[in-house]
Amino acid sequence: MISAPTRARLRFAAGCHVLLLPSMVLLLTFVYLPVAWAFVKSLYRFEIGGQAEFIGLQNYIEYLTIDPPTWPSMLNMFLLTAFAVLTRLTVPLVVAKLIHSLPAERTRYLYRVGFLVPIVVPGIAVQLLWSRLIYSDYGMLSETLRFFGLGDWTRGWLSDPHTALAALMFMGFPFAGGFEILVYYAGLSAIPESVNEAAALEGCTGIRKFFRIDVPLVLSQLKLILVLTVIGGFQGFEGIFVLSQGGPGFRTMVPGLWMYYNAFSYQRMGYACAIGVVLFAIIFSLTLFNLRYFRSAEEIQGHTS
Amino acid sequence: MRSSLRPLSLLVVLAIGAWLLWPPARPENGVAGKSASTAARSVKHVIRFAPGGIYFPGTLPQGVGEPLQGLTKVVAAFEARFPDTRVEFINTPVLREFLVTQLAGGSAPDIVTVNVEDVWVDTQKNWYVPLDRYLEAPNPFVAERDPRAPGARQWWDMFRYQAISRGKKGPDGRNYCISLDMVETGIFYNQTFFAAHGLKVPGTWGEFLTLAERIRRLGKTPLAVNIDALADWGQDLLFDQIYQEILPGIDLKKDPERDAYQPAYLDPDEIAFLYRKGLFTRRDPRYVEVWRHLHELVPYITRDLITADVVRDFVNQDAIMFWSGTWLTGRLDADKGVGFKWNVFYLPPLTRKESPYAIGVPMCVIGGSGTQFEITNSAVSDTDPSLPFAERIKRSERLRRTVQLLQFICLPENTEKIVNEFPILIPNIVGVPVLPQLAPFERILERRYTSTKWAYTFDLRFNDITRRMLLLFLTNGIDLDGFLAWQDSNLRAATQNFIERKRPDFGPFEREWRRRAPVRAHYRDLPTPP
Amino acid sequence: MRPKLARGVIHGILLTTLALTLVPFFFMVNSALRESSEFYHGTFAAPRALRQLGRLGLDAVEGRRGPVVVTDEFDNPRTVPRAEAARYYASRLTVGAELAWDLLRRYILNSFLVSGLTALGVCFLGSGTAYLLARYRFIGRKFVFTFILATMIFPGVLTLVPSFLLVKQLGLLNTYGSMILPYIAGGQVFAIFVFKSFFEGLSEELFESARLDGAGHWSLYWHIILPLSRPVFSVVTIMNVLGTWNNFLWPYIVNTDDRHHVVASGLYTMASSTMSSNPSTLYAAWTISSIPLLVLFVYATKPFIRGLTSGALRA
Repeated sequence: MISAPTRARLRFAAGCHVLLLPSMVLLLTFVYLPVAWAFVKSLYRFEIGGQAEFIGLQNYIEYLTIDPPTWPSMLNMFLLTAFAVLTRLTVPLVVAKLIHSLPAERTRYLYRVGFLVPIVVPGIAVQLLWSRLIYSDYGMLSETLRFFGLGDWTRGWLSDPHTALAALMFMGFPFAGGFEILVYYAGLSAIPESVNEAAALEGCTGIRKFFRIDVPLVLSQLKLILVLTVIGGFQGFEGIFVLSQGGPGFRTMVPGLWMYYNAFSYQRMGYACAIGVVLFAIIFSLTLFNLRYFRSAEEIQGHTS
Repeated sequence: MRSSLRPLSLLVVLAIGAWLLWPPARPENGVAGKSASTAARSVKHVIRFAPGGIYFPGTLPQGVGEPLQGLTKVVAAFEARFPDTRVEFINTPVLREFLVTQLAGGSAPDIVTVNVEDVWVDTQKNWYVPLDRYLEAPNPFVAERDPRAPGARQWWDMFRYQAISRGKKGPDGRNYCISLDMVETGIFYNQTFFAAHGLKVPGTWGEFLTLAERIRRLGKTPLAVNIDALADWGQDLLFDQIYQEILPGIDLKKDPERDAYQPAYLDPDEIAFLYRKGLFTRRDPRYVEVWRHLHELVPYITRDLITADVVRDFVNQDAIMFWSGTWLTGRLDADKGVGFKWNVFYLPPLTRKESPYAIGVPMCVIGGSGTQFEITNSAVSDTDPSLPFAERIKRSERLRRTVQLLQFICLPENTEKIVNEFPILIPNIVGVPVLPQLAPFERILERRYTSTKWAYTFDLRFNDITRRMLLLFLTNGIDLDGFLAWQDSNLRAATQNFIERKRPDFGPFEREWRRRAPVRAHYRDLPTPP
Repeated sequence: MRPKLARGVIHGILLTTLALTLVPFFFMVNSALRESSEFYHGTFAAPRALRQLGRLGLDAVEGRRGPVVVTDEFDNPRTVPRAEAARYYASRLTVGAELAWDLLRRYILNSFLVSGLTALGVCFLGSGTAYLLARYRFIGRKFVFTFILATMIFPGVLTLVPSFLLVKQLGLLNTYGSMILPYIAGGQVFAIFVFKSFFEGLSEELFESARLDGAGHWSLYWHIILPLSRPVFSVVTIMNVLGTWNNFLWPYIVNTDDRHHVVASGLYTMASSTMSSNPSTLYAAWTISSIPLLVLFVYATKPFIRGLTSGALRA
């Protein structure tokens, strides 16, 4: 026998759940169902419009042991991500610090806005712009070299096996346009004036102050950008798709792009799902690692402050 | 003041935006504007037509000239004739990967424009409508006005290049495409430069390389080209040259109608069978030879095989030759900035001197049917999907109208409006003149057809990996052995996939193969089956 | 340390970096004003029409009159009155933009529709769900919240292919739904997170007094939550719009024909098929497609920047 208050609570909960239904239905359909499918379909071999055939773990075995692009593409992913981390943690921070060190608020504002302007251009347009305007045969890079009489140095930046990966890394040079500067700038602005004054009193200025005081105090911002860049580097492949298609050969292939080609070009849907699952496993373990690290870093901060 | 200006300026910006985005009165994409007027009348069929990039209304051919309107005009005339029909142009990338997803979902355009070899891959899925019965019947638009004109008896008669058009018949013996025009490739060369330096059009592959070397010494890029030309045309041309001698011993399938134009075309099933016999592998010296010769071009071609703008290199005289096709004549012809005379030659043959396997036959044609229209299963969408495909084809009214559109387009005056609007391709309809700029190519078209088209033989994975690894090979990122190892595993996967999908019967091939053993006995260096 | 010199160095570094950052975009706009045929003779010149207009202007200042020779893109000359020459060159300036607009207009409208409806859906669902989770105690609340939050561990790369299969199965390929529905489903998660923490921070007294006045649940949401959380709404909206506006891969995959392409996927199709040999049109398209976000940026700088930085938290 259910008591009246319990019944009321149940009825209330039911009402709440009915209101939550739209959210839940959408999540179930467009998030949880695809996640489940990713695991299930990775055990099949099928193409669109064809028959599905259950093949157990064969897709995984093929991907992890036989398929030649697998390991080179993993290496590329790590290299690209490492380079992105390196640049996104340093250049925008230095620029933000330089802007922050200027005395006039108006100048600071102008610089901040200036560096933010590229954000209004759609990402795909920026990538196409780099492939056409910078890296193409008649692009800025080659033409500048020719201007200085170094025409022999020019090459197909994106098709030469020696430069393709580097060209992808340097897309977005000088790595200063974008929201990272805003994040760092916000972090620098949040440093209490008392800290700055104390540092000045102790004669800690300039570069020393930057490393001793500013960097430790924007650690959480740095960590944020780090996490974002790593996740983006492991998942993102649009830029590579647009610029080099993973070539020449597989010199700039990354697992995500290989998944894309297998699914939408080669019609190997099951195999593509298997690649997705493997990538998920990598990202997931990184997230776990990050959670642990994150907590300990939080504690360190707790100690310092 | 500042604060009161801000919302005001925002209003202005929004108003301008809204005004710009408002549906325009003038035709957008050539047809959308007209749909407003057609909306009033009762439209029964909306035919979705993907005419491909070359004739797409509103685009600039090769980036120059005036926006194309030819197809718009023809379609308008068609709509005037059939008020219950509206034609909508679909701007879809002509990529097989898109076709596949669309066709599987039944959402493809009714008419698509792809190379018909791409269609053959999926014919067993009933995705495309065979067109033979229409081609063998009269073209109604011709028949009604002149019973003696070509096309009045059967539609087939309207096509100028009969052998090529009929040669597009698929391996299953059916015809899936209408060839509106012809395309042809060739080497454009700077005649003025040639004359100034005493250079001659080469007669053999060896002479071609010597010529290239001389141009290189003169500080110019001898041959501007991009990877797609090399992977697609280069591979086929050299393959045809090297295998010409042994084709009689390995071409196992005969079809009189197709053989009229392509005497020894190797279809995918033949290649899959031959691969099992050890051909086209690392152990086949001829196959190695194909790629070795392609690599001979490396010192003479554009450094950037992906983004190089070959026309621009040529126009600026950075490159003295470039490898392209008919579609660029209009562009070159219109450019008054071109301060030199240019002409076209075709690649010369390999002789015994250059390769132990070559026999010196002229290089085959890379070209033939240009714009190829196919009708997809979307055209029968007005019929009951549970019926057999053949029955749906018979019943569909929408399909009839779709076929009529193609028949209408094939009328000489209509084809002329479309094909001859800008010199891009050679019209394939009797009674339509060829634009004078394209004359040099007409001669090349008389050549023999290629013995296979590798890029259209197997699945997209095969093409993609070939192109990727070839680029790496030609940029010296990998050596010949490494490349062949890739190509070996690539072809193994491709033939396996082909066999699984099509389940071909190799029995007749096996019998034919044994029957021709005496023919093959004379050939040197044939690989032994694994 | 000499502060003036130091400041000079800082300005030098910043200006150089800024110039390097902006130079591609400068040439993007510059190239948009050139005709395609101009690209055959150089990538970095000023637009021909602009140079000619400048020359005509200079002539006007110097008082030269009478007819003048104009040349078309292929250097074919003809002699016309000055006013007509000016009109001619002015029209050549926008050749690329006009061609681009023919295709881009539809893409932009689609983008507005998709991003707008998505943002609306995310705000509505997100705030509603968050309100329930934040201000009411009911059985299963914790579970629901975990259920929502857990989706954050699934990266897009895992669900890309199966989502496509699902959308195809549902018959949503080539519809707006194929974009809007998954966008709302995924986008609401972070919105719920943001809204919930904001709603939890609101003081209970507000709600108490309203309840005493006899306000129902709906009226609490409408009269208390909404007015108080306008800044959060604008941040969530902008953050969401930035995400959907720039998403290229998904619309590119689920739109196999041209009709429902949004700006991002449309730009790629233009560059890879119809307009690939039309550089002028492409650059013009990229320039034009930057305007909507520029307007948003200019008129909503603060929420825009907050949206950007909090969008960063999405991971």
